[in-house]
Formats: sequence, structure tokens, C-alpha cells
Amino acid sequence: MSKRAAAPWILMTPFLAIFGVFFIYPVVRALTLSCEQTFGAGHSEFIGLANFRRLADDPLFWKALRNTTIFTLGSVLVQLPLALLLALLLETPGLRGRRIFRVLLFSPAMVGVAFAAVIFAVVFEKRTGVLNRVLHSMIGLDLDYAWLQDHVMGAMIVAALWMYTGFNMVFFSAALQNVRTDVVEAATIDGAGPWSRFVHVIVPAIRPVAGFVVLLSVIGSFQLFELPYLMLNTTAGPDNRGLTVVMYLYQAGFETGDLGYASAIGWMLTILLVAIAGVQRWLARAEGVHS
Amino acid sequence: MSPQPASPSAPSIISAIPPGGWLIAVLAALSMAAIGFWPSPPTRDRTMWTFAQPHYVMYGPIIDRWNAANSPTIDLTMLGLVPMERRMLASFMSGTRSADLLEVERRIAARAFTGPLDAVGFVDLTDRLKAEGLLEQINAPSFSPWTSRGRIFGLPHDVHPVMLGYRSDLVEAAGIDVRQIETWDDFARVMKPLMKDADGDGQPDRYLLNMWETHDDHLEVLLLQAGGRFFDDSDRPIIDSETNARVLATIVSWCNGPDRIAADAPDFTASGNKLKSDGYVVCTFMPDWMCDVWRHELPGLAGKVKLMPLPAWEKGGRRASVWGGTMLGIPRTAARTPAELDSLFAFAKHLYCSKDLAQELFRNGRIITPVKSHWSDPVFDEPDPYLGGQKPGRMYIDLASAVPARTSSPYNTLARFRMLDALVKLSEEARRTGTFDRAALTERAMHYLKDAQHQVLLQVDNNVFLRPPQGAEAPGE
Amino acid sequence: MIALLNSPTRRTRRLLATILLAAACIVTLLPYVWLLCASLKSNSIFFDSLLLPGGDGPLGLNWSGITIDHYIRLFRDLDFGRSLVLSVFYSSVTSLLATLACAMAGYALARLRFRGKWLITTIVLGAVLIPAPLLLAPGYLLLYKLSLLDTMAAVILPAAAPAFGVYLFRQATISSVPPELIESARIDGAGDLKTFFVIALPLLRPMVGTFLMITFLGVWNNFITPQVVLQDPTKFPVAVSIAQLRGVYYQDYGLQMAGTLAAIFPLLALFAFLQREFIAGLTAGAVKA
Repeated sequence: MSKRAAAPWILMTPFLAIFGVFFIYPVVRALTLSCEQTFGAGHSEFIGLANFRRLADDPLFWKALRNTTIFTLGSVLVQLPLALLLALLLETPGLRGRRIFRVLLFSPAMVGVAFAAVIFAVVFEKRTGVLNRVLHSMIGLDLDYAWLQDHVMGAMIVAALWMYTGFNMVFFSAALQNVRTDVVEAATIDGAGPWSRFVHVIVPAIRPVAGFVVLLSVIGSFQLFELPYLMLNTTAGPDNRGLTVVMYLYQAGFETGDLGYASAIGWMLTILLVAIAGVQRWLARAEGVHS
Repeated sequence: MSPQPASPSAPSIISAIPPGGWLIAVLAALSMAAIGFWPSPPTRDRTMWTFAQPHYVMYGPIIDRWNAANSPTIDLTMLGLVPMERRMLASFMSGTRSADLLEVERRIAARAFTGPLDAVGFVDLTDRLKAEGLLEQINAPSFSPWTSRGRIFGLPHDVHPVMLGYRSDLVEAAGIDVRQIETWDDFARVMKPLMKDADGDGQPDRYLLNMWETHDDHLEVLLLQAGGRFFDDSDRPIIDSETNARVLATIVSWCNGPDRIAADAPDFTASGNKLKSDGYVVCTFMPDWMCDVWRHELPGLAGKVKLMPLPAWEKGGRRASVWGGTMLGIPRTAARTPAELDSLFAFAKHLYCSKDLAQELFRNGRIITPVKSHWSDPVFDEPDPYLGGQKPGRMYIDLASAVPARTSSPYNTLARFRMLDALVKLSEEARRTGTFDRAALTERAMHYLKDAQHQVLLQVDNNVFLRPPQGAEAPGE
Repeated sequence: MIALLNSPTRRTRRLLATILLAAACIVTLLPYVWLLCASLKSNSIFFDSLLLPGGDGPLGLNWSGITIDHYIRLFRDLDFGRSLVLSVFYSSVTSLLATLACAMAGYALARLRFRGKWLITTIVLGAVLIPAPLLLAPGYLLLYKLSLLDTMAAVILPAAAPAFGVYLFRQATISSVPPELIESARIDGAGDLKTFFVIALPLLRPMVGTFLMITFLGVWNNFITPQVVLQDPTKFPVAVSIAQLRGVYYQDYGLQMAGTLAAIFPLLALFAFLQREFIAGLTAGAVKA
């Protein structure tokens, strides 16, 4: 083989070697594994499609899916508008201290979920927790408002709000920087009010980025695990209110020891996320045809 | 492919790396060096894990004496309960080595019983315990959580009877005599005057019982006391029983509505401790080990707390329950030869059954030993100033034989949580409909328990490893 | 003229924006401040005050309730420093390996011609969509078979070839490495490898910086992989160690908070250094895409 022909493969080899062993092989193995029941790595029995039949009837799986969906919707619907609002404020012309605002608001994205969970586990405690004490003195919220017992997903949404609003904000803010000021000014001269400028100039301009941010949030939210797992002290909370799809996968695989059932749950999650990404793509493409 | 130093392009390779890249490369080099030079702890021949800080402190001197006279030597490591569970499971499921001796809590040990009997990660000690007469010497109920399909996988550490701890300062100031209390109904009636609304906001700011519908430990304490069970003797779920329904209904009526007597001052938390100090709750479930937790976490309550037996569910009923439990097990991976097993078991027996430890356990941990011959030791008759001069040792020993037996089913945690779900849902329904009548609640409890039973059955029946082979007899019989 | 006309409204708008953003920043900073205060309070008075305990001492504080004992215990008794060093090790080594592997592969897929390129590109783009949790169970089984469970390699290797990185570098190459430049280097007689290291890599510099940081961050904050594959605490990174500080029966709040602060501080410091290129690099791909 000539030097020229070999070069691409030399560049590709480190990636392909690791990727093949630690990605491709496990994905293929996940398929066969989902037809087995195991106890740990040592004991396994082939059970065909029984795992998938069991999933369809498993109230816990559906509960996990429901909880995760609630979290995802809550996160997207509360967090993203807030992120957009902050981005609009941040891009106010002539604003001073823009950089420091951006860095501070973005910084929680650096804090890993495993660490944020430790903080929020104490923040959300009833009666003594910081949040309840602040809300009690401000709006008279019941001190015994049991976030981590009765409103687990609500608590997760609040925690995620702190962690990711700034992260999403920087994407919107970058998109807003690309909105041409002359277009905005022209619209202003034409007598467009702030709302009409927002709807007719800004929204179309940030639409592609918004699509990306929504997709990223949805995919990330559907993989929620550490936050409830650690905040609820490695349980799923009362009545499994903190159970998420990935937590159920973890419980099945590494607490019960059934790697087969865990793989089946993994496939359900994969199918769901691929479908969501497909829909987003299709919407984006349809959008592109119209404009 | 190596860059030539003379080539004009060399600077551009350097410029290709951003400042972050340099920083991270330096960090990589420094951390590698640091890991290389980090002092690693000295290794002993054999390791033992425990999850409880007080045990760690108590075993230290005993193990030091053992190590001076015996070989192999033992090294004791303290691990959190959660990490220990994960590491034990990780090692049992992958067949890799963990510790040589594992001191584990009940809910963790049961995890090891999920697979086939020959895949249990602990050595089966049944025959050895029989041969050495330990089966008779140790309080019988203490074996139950470590017995799966008729085989015993660990040496019991404790009995852990549960009593009721009460704020004697408040109770005595109100002129209440706790000897009048025999049943839970007596308890609510006699103690009622203590539930006061001092700040006049319409809500009592003192409750009689520290118990809440979201705590699985509280549920299990009350359920076992009442004679309720999660599993029958062959480990089949029996969650939807009359007794269980009655317990759930009673708990709901204690946490809600006109007969509310309970409030939540969570154990082991600074917040709960503050509420206990403030007198937000009068009584708390006190297993023997909890006396030690209180001594350390609530020193301000010294002399203000006393113990009484649990009020019974009906006249003449059981006045004790059980909370927690520990065993010492030997992982199969640690005992590959009979000689290895002999030496590890000799140490286990020395540690758990010695008089030294019985005394230490009680003095430093307030835990009573399950070894019956040590119960006459004078240490158990020492008065405790923290408990207003009561003799907690004797009081707990008197209840030891009344402690209810427990299941070792790997699905116990599942059953416990599904039953907790039933309780939480029942409570929500009660609040929604305003129905707090116990008879009506019992009926609704049955509805939710049937659902819990169904869910647990689903999991149990899905386990191909626990299914007895067709036409064959159950193992071990 | 427009600017003049709008000037008073603009000024009020600017003021309003500043106030709202400042408020948002305060809410964002509150957990940090609270965390710092909590890590300095002794456990007996942990819940008595929201931030630091008030008292008669200087600055109106109760100084006897303020302590650095938690930090001393953390680093002296619990050897938390080891976890921190390990986290630095896992994160830096993984990010260097992953960045190099992904940059080379991404460049090759974008600019070089070879057989099987289409197939590899398709697989890589598809792999981006596969969520990591799917690999948890079979990955564990694989590490078991390779006898890599409970080794440092089990944390580093599976994270060293993210398909996402190849995708990012392929995009970056397409948008910032002009084919003419490659072609002229080729005509000058430079080999493909030399062209990559000498011509392409400097042009990919912003993506190299960003991706190093993304991977560093991802490994530092990853909990589930080390939680599943490691067993020996002398190999635990901080994300796993921090969870060990939380007991079921004994809660040492001050210790947990001190540990959390010690674990997030290095990352926040690193971010403070590199925030500008990091945020710019992060958003660049999304905005252009």
C-alpha cells in the first residue's frame, strides 16, 4: 500500500480501534443481551423476547417513562423561554458588563449533576431546607411543603432550572448576535412594536438554533438519572415518584443484576430518542422548504 | 511523522494547541506523577468491611489483639452503606474479589439472594453453625434475615429490639404516667394533652409520635409488631393480608385528620434532630442502636429521654418490634479452600461471640448481643444517665425473645417500597375524600395492597433463577 | 437620528435589563454562597441560620460556630485529595486522547478520500444518536470479559472515542480548513499526515480548545460510568467519592458540603480561565449548523 493510501487509515485507526471495541461491539451485544436474563455477568439464560413483553406490562417502566416525560416537558417549557428572555436582555444594545453576566449565568453548567444533587438534597429539605425557608418568608409557602416526597419532579425541574438555564441562554445569545441590526432598525422605522419585532424578525432568525437547543434539552432530559438518584439517597423516592427511565435501567442492571432487562430498557430509550431526533429533523426540513 | 525542528512549520504545530490544551497537558502530567507517588495504605493479609462508624471504633482494639496472636492478620475498612451495597453486588455479580469478611446490613445482604442458590456470593454456613452449637447459643429470630431457602449465610451481630423513646421531661411535666399505656389506643388517649398549639396558628406544634407515612423503616417496624408480613415461609408474597391493611389504615389515621398524632422529624438528619430537640415530637421508635445515635447527635436531651415498651396493637399483644440488623458473611471468593474458610470463620466467631465484644457493643454502641449466654453480664444492668437512670440493657434483653422474625427474600425491599406506595396513595385518598375512619380506610387499603401484591408477584414470577426446576424438588430439602 | 430619538427609552431599557440580569445572577450565585457558608458551619448549628450563624462576634457572626474542621477531615482523614487528583488524571488524559483521536478521524472523514469512508461517516453520524445508557449493561459485560473491571482503563478507554467528537471535528474541518490549502500542500509534496498536523490542526485550534474542555468537563462530572465499573475507592473520582460521603444512618452535612465545594472549585477555576473560547466554541457549531 502506498504511503498516500495508508495515511487516512493511520489517522482513522486510533478512533476506529477504540470506537469498534467500546461502542460498536456493545451496541451489537445490547441486541443479543436484551433476549437474555442474567444474574450479574456470570449467570445468563436465553429468554427470547420475554423482556420486551415484560416491559409492555411493567407498571414501573411506564411510571418511569411518565416521570421522565413530565420532567422533560417541564424543563423545556419553563427553562427555554426563561433562557431566551435572559438572552434577549443580555443582547440589549449598549449593555455594560455583558461578559460577566454571561459567565456567571453560564457557570452552573460546569457543576456536575452529581455535585448539584448534594447541594439540592439539602436545599429542598422540608421545614429546614433553604428553599422552603426563603419561600415561606417571601410568599408564605407551607414550611412542610415536601418537595422530595410529594413533588419530586417539580424539585428536579427547579434544580435543572438552576443548572441549565444559563447553558441554553448562551446558545440563544449567540443566535441573537447573528440577527442583523439593520433589519431590526428597519422594522422599527416601519413602526413595528417590540412584540411584532420579536415575532417577525427575531423568532425566524433564531429558529434553527432554537430547534437545536430544544433537541439537546429533550435528549438530555430523557437521560435524567443522577439528580433524583442522589437527591433521594439512591432510591426512587416514595411511590417511585423520582423513578426515571435511566434509573430503572440502572436498578435492573446493577441492583437486581439483570443486564438483559437493562438492555431492553436501553433499547426503548434509544428508539424513543431516535424518533424524537427524526421528528425534529423532519420539522426543520419542512421549515426549510417553506421559507 | 515527527516534526523536524528546523522546519519553518514547527511553530505552527505549537500554535495549533490552544492555551487550554497546554493547561490540560500539564495537568495530565502532574496528576500522573501525583498518583505514582501517592502513599498507598499498607496492605494486610485479609480485609474486613464494615458500614457503621461505631462498629469500626469498637472492633479496632479487638482486631489488634487478634492480629498480634494470629495469622492471617485482618485489616478493617469502613465503608458507607450505599457504596458497600454497590461494591458487594459488583463483586458477586462479576465474580471478582471484594473483602474477605463482609459485615453487611440486612437490606444489602438480601440482594445477594436474587440469583440461584449456588450463585449466592456468601459461603453457606448452615452446617458449620449446627456443628459448633451456635444455632442454639444465638437468639433464634436473629438468624431469619440471613436464611434463604433454608440455608444460613451469615453470623448474626445483633437483636435490635425496638422500644419507644419518649421525652420524659415533657411527659412528666404534664403529669402523665406511661404505665397506663398498654395499647396504641391507650397511647393516643393518655398522651393527647401533650399536643398543644402554643403559637395559636391553629396547628399543633407538638405531636405525640415521630413517624411518617413516607418512611419505610417506620412502616416495617409497625407492621412486624402487628404480626403483618411481606412473604410467607416459602418466600411467596402475602402483601394483601387483613393485618397489613389494618396497619396501613391506622398509620394513615395517625398522620392525617382528626386523630392525627404523628409528625415527621426524620432520623439521622440535622433537620430532624433540631425538631426533636425543639420538642416537636414526644416519642420516637428506639431500637437499641438508636440510643447511641441519640447520645451523640442529641447531647442536649441527656436526662430528658426515657424508654418504654412499644404499645401493643391489642391487649396482651406483642410489645416489641425490630429495626435494622447486621451479619458477618464470608464471600466465596475469599474462601477458596477449606483451610482459608476455617481461619476466616475462626476470626468471625472470635469477633462476634466474644464476651469482650458483647460488653463493648453495649457500652459504646448500646447494642445488645444475640449470644444468650452473655446476657447475664453485669454490663447490661448499668444505669444510663442519658436515659434518666434507666437500665436499657436489661430492658432490651427482656424483649429479645419477643422480636418478630423476618424474611430474607431478595424482594423484601421491593415489597417494602410497594407497600409504602400503597400507604402513600391511601393517605392521599384519605386527604382528598376527607375519610379518616379506620374501618373505611382498611377496606381501601386492601384495594391498594392488592395492587402492590400484583406488582411484587410480577417481579418474583419473572425471575427464572428462583423458579424451581420443573418436576424437581425445591433445593435444600 | 434613530439612536437620538430612541435614546431615553434605550437608557431605561438598558437599566431594566441590567437590573433583571443582576437579579438572575444573584439567584444563580446563591447556591454557591450558601454552599460555602454551609461548608464552614459546625453540624450542631447547621440549620439554625440560612447562611452564616449570627452572633455577638465581629461582623455580627457567631465565630465559635464557624469552622474549617470539615475540610481538615476531608483531606486528612478521608484522603479526598486523592480523588481530586484522580479526577484531574481521568479528565485530562481522556480529553487529550479523545481530542487527538477525534480530530484525526474528523479531518480524515472531511477531507481525505479512501474506501469505506461513506460507511464510516454514516455509522458515526448514527452513533451520535445512540444514548449512552444503552451501552451501560453490555459495556459492563465487555469490561468483565476483558478483565478491565475496577481498573483505571475502564474509566478512560470507553470515553476516548466519542462519535460526537468526530462529528464536531468533521464539521469544523469542512467550515475552516479550505480544500485549496490541502491541495496546495499536497502539490508541495507534503504527506497527508504532515498536512494534518502542520496545516489543518492550527486551523482547527478553536475546536481543539472547545472539545478538550467539553471532554474534560464530561469526564469530571460523569458519575454513572465510574459508579458502575469501579469498586476500589482508591480509584474513585470525586463524582463517586462525593456520593460516599452521604450515609444512610449518619448525615454529616458540613462534610458533604465541603466535599462538594472542593469538587466543583477546580472546574469553576478552569472555566474562569478558559470561559471565553469555551462558550464561543460551544455555540459556534450550533449557530452555523
